[in-house]
This record gives sequence, C-alpha cells and structure tokens, in this order.
Amino acid sequence: MPASAHLPIAASGSFLITPNVGLMIWVLVVFLISFLILRKTVFPAIAQLLDKRANTISGEIDAAEKLRVDAEAVLAEYRERLIEARSQADEIVARARAAGDAHQKESVEQARAERERLLEQTRRDVEAETRRAIDEIRSDVAALTVMATEKVTRKVLSADDHKRLVEEALRELDFSALSGSEN
Amino acid sequence: MSAISVPAPAGAPAPGKPQKAGMSKGKKIGLSVFAVWLLGIVFFVAVFGFKSHKAPDVLSGVFTPTNEFKLDTWFSLGPVDFNKGVLYVLLAAVITLWVMIAAVKRLRERPGRLQVAVEMFYNLTFGMTKENLDDRLGRKYFPLIATLFVFILVTNLIGYIPLPVNSVDKFTIFGAHLPSFQIYAADTNVAFPLMLALLVFCLFTWEGLKAHHGPIGFLKSLMPGGVKGAMVPMIFGIEVLSYFLRLISLTVRLWANLLAGHMLIAFMGGELGVLVGDQWVQWLLLPIGIAIFLFEAVLIAALQAFIFSILTAIYLGSAVQSH
Repeated sequence: MPASAHLPIAASGSFLITPNVGLMIWVLVVFLISFLILRKTVFPAIAQLLDKRANTISGEIDAAEKLRVDAEAVLAEYRERLIEARSQADEIVARARAAGDAHQKESVEQARAERERLLEQTRRDVEAETRRAIDEIRSDVAALTVMATEKVTRKVLSADDHKRLVEEALRELDFSALSGSEN
Repeated sequence: MSAISVPAPAGAPAPGKPQKAGMSKGKKIGLSVFAVWLLGIVFFVAVFGFKSHKAPDVLSGVFTPTNEFKLDTWFSLGPVDFNKGVLYVLLAAVITLWVMIAAVKRLRERPGRLQVAVEMFYNLTFGMTKENLDDRLGRKYFPLIATLFVFILVTNLIGYIPLPVNSVDKFTIFGAHLPSFQIYAADTNVAFPLMLALLVFCLFTWEGLKAHHGPIGFLKSLMPGGVKGAMVPMIFGIEVLSYFLRLISLTVRLWANLLAGHMLIAFMGGELGVLVGDQWVQWLLLPIGIAIFLFEAVLIAALQAFIFSILTAIYLGSAVQSH
C-alpha cells in the first residue's frame, strides 16, 4: 500500500510519548485545586447527608421495632384479658346454671309440697263431707224406718221401741260401701 | 446501533424490497439504515470509482493522523503555555466542580436523579476505599480517590464531545480558517495520566516509608516472605522493578486506552478513507466508527476512571502492609 508510506506515525508521533511538562504542571495545579474544593465542600456534605439518612433509617427501624414490641405486649395483654373474660364467663354461666338448677329444684319441691297440702286438704274435705252425708243418711233412714214401722203396725211406737227399731234397721244397713270410698 | 447489529438477516433479500407485513418497527428501521449504508457504498463507488483520490496534504505528508493530538500552543502568559490539553483539563475541572457543587446544593432527603448518580459515585468510591484501606488511611485518602475517579471520568467523557479545537488541521469557510472539530481528551496526552500517576506513586511511597519506619524497613517490606539464599537478590530486583512499574502501568493503562480509542474512532470514522483516498472506504467503515465510539464512551470512559482510582486505593493499602 503506497498509503502506508504516508503514515509517518513513528517519525512524527514522538510528541505522543514525550510528556508535555507544561501540561503536567497544569494538570497538577488544576487537579489539586479541584481536590481541595471537593474535599472541603462536596464530600463532607454528601457524607453528612448519607449519615443523616442512615441515622433516620436506623431510627425508623428502632421505632418500628419498638412499635412491634409494644404491639406484641398489647396483644399479649388482650389475649390474657380474653382468657380471663372467657373464664369469668364460664364461671358466670356455671353459677347461673347452678342457681337455675337450685331454683328449679326448690320450685319443684314447693310445687310438690303445695300439691301434697292441697291433696291433704281435699282428702280432709271429702272425708268430712262423707261423714256428714253418712250421718244425714243415717238420720233419714231412722226416720224412714220409724215411719215405715208405724205404717205397718198402725201404732205409735214408744220411745223404747223407737230406739230399738232404729238400731235394728241400722244394723242391717251396710255403710261399709260408703266408708270404703275413703280407702 | 441497529445498523451494525442487524445486517445478518438482511443479507439474503434485497434491502430495497418491500418488507413483509408484521415486521417489527425496530427491524424495519434497522433494515432501512442497512439499505442506506449499502446504497451509500454503491453511490460512492459509482461517483468516485475505486481509483484513489488522495488530498494534496495527504500526498505531501503534511496531514498525519497523529496531528490532532499535537498540543499547539494557542497563546502564552509569560512562561505559561495555553493549548487544547490545558483547555480540556480546565473544562474537566470546571464541569466536575460545577456538577458536584450543583448536586450538593440540591441535596435532599428524597434524592433526584443527579443526586442518585452522585450518591452512587460516592458510595462506589467510598466502598473501594473502605475495602482497601484501614479506617485512618481511608479517612485521609477517600477524598483523593473520589476526586481521581470523578476527575478522570469527566475528562474521559468530555473527550467524546466534538469541539472545534484542532488548530493544526484547519478548515476554511468563506475564507476563514477555523480549527477543525475533533474529539480530544486530555488523557490522550501522556502528561495527564503521568502527572496523576506520579502523584499517587509519591503518596503511596510516602505512606510506605512512614509505615515501615524509613527506607530500610520499606525496602524490606517489598520482599515476599520465605525467600532465602541466592534467590534474594533476584527477587528483590524483580520486586523493586515491579514497584516502579506501577507508575508506568498506571500511566500507560489510562493513556494508551484513551489514545488508542480516540485514534480508532477517528480512523473508522473517516480518517482511514482520507489516508487511502477512497471515499467509499470512509462510508464503509463509518458504522464501525460509531460502534467503537459508543463502546468507548459508554464503557471505557468509566472503566478507566474506576481502574485508576481502585488501583490507587490498592497501592495505598498495600504500602502500609508488609508481604
């Protein structure tokens, strides 16, 4: 290639590998000034911000942790209260049930006693009524007997006859059927 | 850069052919760009042919690709020369300070985009300092390491903005001779990385001397443990050499990467075509030029700044430790 003859890189390019001292001094001065300005103003500000943010985040993590612990404590307390309330409720129910049972038992007892009393009363009333009825029947029977005997014998009975007849008649009458109803 | 990545599928059908329905928008754009590129080659070959048309300056050797890296003194203030290298160093410093101070003035608990970027840079450099240096040295040297990173990064990045600074090869409009636009970076001149490397070298040597109580302890600290007998002088020689090579490796890594990157972009972006005198070659290589430009601007600029600053941290850290 004839073109390569016109690429005298090696010949004219020695400036490429020869450091330019003037530029070196420029680089040093400019770099050091930039370095000093950045060190004084920029890096501390960024560091401060990042530290602040790190602290904020750390504080927030702590706060969240505290909140979690608090929440757990509250939850535990509520659980405890719930258990307590449940046991109290159980107790109340048990007590109510016992009271109810006792009340029921008492009522039943009272009812039974009342019934017994009423039955007894009734029995007594029936007995008294029966006795009164028997006495009435007996006197009626005696009167009827005297009347019947007078009619048959066409005479008036003396007091002794009267008495004897009544007794005889009554003896023959069976009141056992009436008194048997008592049993 | 779809123009470069897409060519493979477009190889078979003619690029001018109407595209099938259902083709994605990106693919369409890629194919169109590829077609324009192909047509451009045909156009330049048709107009200028394969015969080379070298410019008179190229034929005479006045124009060489390295000219654009020459530091042409623009003016002098006493013993102080002012050239484009100085301009770029000043630009880098002004932009660095402006961005950082602007970011710091607007620091908020809830950060904006600039603040997020600045905080990322801060955390990155703080991390590399913390990993390599103890607390005392870390506090002392973190500002230096962070400044190195951001200063080199900005220097590299402004090196990808075309500016009218090429006063060696001028162009003429309406009779006015104006400096050509070029992409230049201060660290394509060896002075820039060499100065920073010298600064770092002096600092870690100073820290080494302090930590090992003088030159004898310092030299002893260079020797790896367990070396005995006849091996001692040889290993010592190698260790001393490698110690001084740090200066050169720090310098050359940054300088050569940037210089080679800029030269490659310039070559692929048209300079090679100018040198061989074929217009279609310029057009042919343009996509590669754009690809290299993006690769350099996106990756290399930040990577080299990162490497320089992390090596500073590592060297400072190792200076206070013995083998």
